Amino acid sequence: MNRRKLLTLGAVALIASQWGTPVFAQQGVFKIASLNPITGAGSPYGTGMLKGAQMAVAEVNAAGGAGGAKIDMASEDSQTNPQAAVLAAKKLIEVQKVRAIIGTWSSGVSLAVIPITNDANVLLMHTSGAPALSVAPANAKKLGFRFQATNDRFGRAFAEIAKREKFKRPATMAFNNASGIGNTEGFRKSWTASGGTVVANVVYEPNRPSYRSELQEVLRGKPDVIVTGSYLADTTIILREWYQSGQPARWIIPGWAANGDLLKALGPDVTEGIISVESISAEDSPAYKSFADRFAKEAKMAAQDNVYAAMTYDEVIVLALAVQAVGPTAAADVLAKKVHEIGTPGGTVVNSFAEGKKLLAAGKRVTYHGASSALNFDEFNDVTPDFAASFVEKGKLVRKYVVKL
Amino acid sequence: MTFADFLNLALNGLVEGLLIALPALAVTLVHGLARFPNAATGDVVAAGGFGGYFTFNVTGSLLLAGLGGALVGALVSLAAYYLAFKAIMRRSVITLLLTSIGVGFFIRSVLGMSFGHELKMFSLPLTRAINFHGVLINPTDVQLAGVIVAVLAAVFVMLYVAPVGRMMRALADDPDLGRVSGIRKERVMVVMWSVTGAVCGIAGTVLGMRTTLAPEMGWTMLLPAFAAAVIGGLGNPVGAVAGAILLGVVQELSTPYVGFVYKIALGYVVMLLVLLVRPQGLFNRPQGVR
Amino acid sequence: MVSYLATILIIMVIYILLAFSLDLQYGFTGLINFGLVGFFGVGAYTSALVTMNLGLPAWLSFPAAMLVAGLLSWPLGRIALRLRDDYLAIVTLGFSEIIRLVIVKEDWLTHGVQGISGIPRLWPNWSSSASELFLLCALITAAALTTLVMRRITQSPYGRTIQAIRDDEVAVIALGKDPSIFKTQVLVIGGAIAGLAGAFYAHYITYIVPDQFVPITTFYIWMAIIMGGVARLLGSISGAVLLVFLLEGTRFLRGYIPGVTDAGMASFQLGVIGVLLILFMRWRPQGLFGKRSAT
Repeated sequence: MNRRKLLTLGAVALIASQWGTPVFAQQGVFKIASLNPITGAGSPYGTGMLKGAQMAVAEVNAAGGAGGAKIDMASEDSQTNPQAAVLAAKKLIEVQKVRAIIGTWSSGVSLAVIPITNDANVLLMHTSGAPALSVAPANAKKLGFRFQATNDRFGRAFAEIAKREKFKRPATMAFNNASGIGNTEGFRKSWTASGGTVVANVVYEPNRPSYRSELQEVLRGKPDVIVTGSYLADTTIILREWYQSGQPARWIIPGWAANGDLLKALGPDVTEGIISVESISAEDSPAYKSFADRFAKEAKMAAQDNVYAAMTYDEVIVLALAVQAVGPTAAADVLAKKVHEIGTPGGTVVNSFAEGKKLLAAGKRVTYHGASSALNFDEFNDVTPDFAASFVEKGKLVRKYVVKL
Repeated sequence: MTFADFLNLALNGLVEGLLIALPALAVTLVHGLARFPNAATGDVVAAGGFGGYFTFNVTGSLLLAGLGGALVGALVSLAAYYLAFKAIMRRSVITLLLTSIGVGFFIRSVLGMSFGHELKMFSLPLTRAINFHGVLINPTDVQLAGVIVAVLAAVFVMLYVAPVGRMMRALADDPDLGRVSGIRKERVMVVMWSVTGAVCGIAGTVLGMRTTLAPEMGWTMLLPAFAAAVIGGLGNPVGAVAGAILLGVVQELSTPYVGFVYKIALGYVVMLLVLLVRPQGLFNRPQGVR
Repeated sequence: MVSYLATILIIMVIYILLAFSLDLQYGFTGLINFGLVGFFGVGAYTSALVTMNLGLPAWLSFPAAMLVAGLLSWPLGRIALRLRDDYLAIVTLGFSEIIRLVIVKEDWLTHGVQGISGIPRLWPNWSSSASELFLLCALITAAALTTLVMRRITQSPYGRTIQAIRDDEVAVIALGKDPSIFKTQVLVIGGAIAGLAGAFYAHYITYIVPDQFVPITTFYIWMAIIMGGVARLLGSISGAVLLVFLLEGTRFLRGYIPGVTDAGMASFQLGVIGVLLILFMRWRPQGLFGKRSAT
């Protein structure tokens, strides 16, 4: 019978394709996986994120592994799609038996995957913004770690910067998704809490050919600064149309949108004075410098164009340090507690895996300051980084100061 | 909101409507002769946009970029006709429609694999708008509108003055009678697919200049183009353009009342209402819609 | 391994339900519904909101999802009756987009773009793998019941009437029956089935957001019923199975196709789907299991 043959053949093929992967845990190997947005909305960042993680794995293994075990990292494409990501996560956990999944980017993906990782006692390290990822039920077991500042924190950083620059009449423009709105809501809450008013709030839909009407509404309030929760494509269109409108205003834009590509596309006239905000490590962090150099050489990409690559790098390093401290066979909650400890102040500060491994082997407590931020996990395992305000001057981003929340 | 604000919104709507007018015209022309809504229209727009982008990078001339986009669009459209549509031209609407979805997917996949998903942008000098008592008129927009109007005019001249255009309209009105009077359908088809492809290509280049280039850029134009063509009446070129402009203006003017999310839905609601009242579209004669 | 296969099966059966819905409407009655994902989404949201806001046990939310999705199909039926195939396709596509935009905008109810997270599993007190297997069993039961219902509908005088409407509506009118009643009923029943699929989906993925309910899902299901064969229950089932193999299978091909980067795989997958659609429509429009006449 045709159908039966087809189904059997298919099932056999599916199972056979797994035969190449060892199903039993091997001595001396610690398995993890990177689940990145190689395709889909996050695709501008996914490949870079994977490369950053792979660099970290190579660094750890070159230094002799963690706790006597090599890191073995599988990788899957989340397609920035919760459904595909759930299937990928299941495969990684069930078939490849990974102990940790790193590198998820979109909130939809992380929110869909975290119940699965929680159930399997697998750690999840992500760079998503949704507030729901900090608390129960999503993070009831505290196995989830957020390596990107929450949208709320970004918003507060925006407010600090706006205050510092003495703006009085801010307006907000948000991309209509959880992250964009999270940023501007964070700003609004913080700004109005200190007594200020926001003159206009606009939320715009994705993929429109023009945002002139949306801009019109924002500009009608005659703001002196416009704070955005936006992405590269829409920011390009909005800034273009704003410039053409001729109405003066300053801009505060998240670093993932106001990056080198934006400046190149729009040119120095349009972009002069834009304030780009991103979460950072301490000034001149050696971890970041070392990472950026290696990233440029090996991945042939510029670290500052993909803020998430440094985050996935840190995800692997801090995980490896924890494995070094408690051993590769430690239970998930022990591992998670150690990750938390290494990401919080109190130990000797280290900037690389090798440094940390030496100290841990000598029984000392370490605190890892990473390439993306100095971590500083809060009680929810969210990083609390500092933020850098960089100003565009003559077509180039120049870092002016750091904001500590 | 002042009168100037409303006028600005209307102007925005006009520009957006003109942007949609080209693909809407393409949809309606294809429907007139081939009798199906072409879901690959958006992806031909995207292909043309990429063509225009690369031509611009090589030559630095906007005019050549437009021509490059038109050429790429025409070629892709012809290829789709010969490779996919021609053999099944006599089949049902749904067969052709599903095939066109497949063609669209294929074009999008080739664009994605060849050019990747990183955003590409035209680096063009930007101009400031002229401010007439609060009404903003942007010279670049005027230029682009001029280009679109010129293209539309050229197509209409072809349709209503040139012999091949008359043949096209005759075949669209009554294929059997057209064949009997000696019109060679094949030649007219080739002209139609080339012209609609070129129109899409120019639309893609213009869209690329105003926004950013990505393999998916055409898909977001597809439903508005369909809605405009449907409102005007499928097969009716004047209807498609009028429908597009109407849709654009109504959407933008509705913004203060329905907000930025629902203004998009409004387009589809208008389409539903128009079809409830006049199932053949605004500009078509009542004929065989059921 | 078991859990991974169970997850694949869950998705497969959800697609089978959606394929049934579409096949009933198009395969058997000739209604070109391109708005399928809208009713899928309505079912998912209704089920999630009933479970979470009203605190009712999950299994009660399923009939609610079917009811709301079915009811929402009714106005589509009224609009659809006067429209020709091509107009209907576009209108139904627009309808599903309107539904998605309403879900986005009415965030007081639906949480808008933040999505609804933490949708409880079908039997929250059980372990997750047990819950998952339970969902799968419930899903298979629902699918089996739906198959029986579909069989009864399509192999009855009712079924002959709707197929007659597909083939020659004028003749049906001449026989004194009103096609519009049948068409509306078919849309409502199909809508309810899609709503049921949505309810299962919400409780399986536990986090829903409007972005998950976009037209490409509708196109995938169209592909499934075309490949499997329209107007055949076996066609819907095999088409859905094939679709899942296509979508999940490309994951295993990563690295094996020369010239395609990892980032290009999604585009490659889309291209494969596009080419398959073109080839099927040209050379095997009846699909794998369909009858020759249903073109």
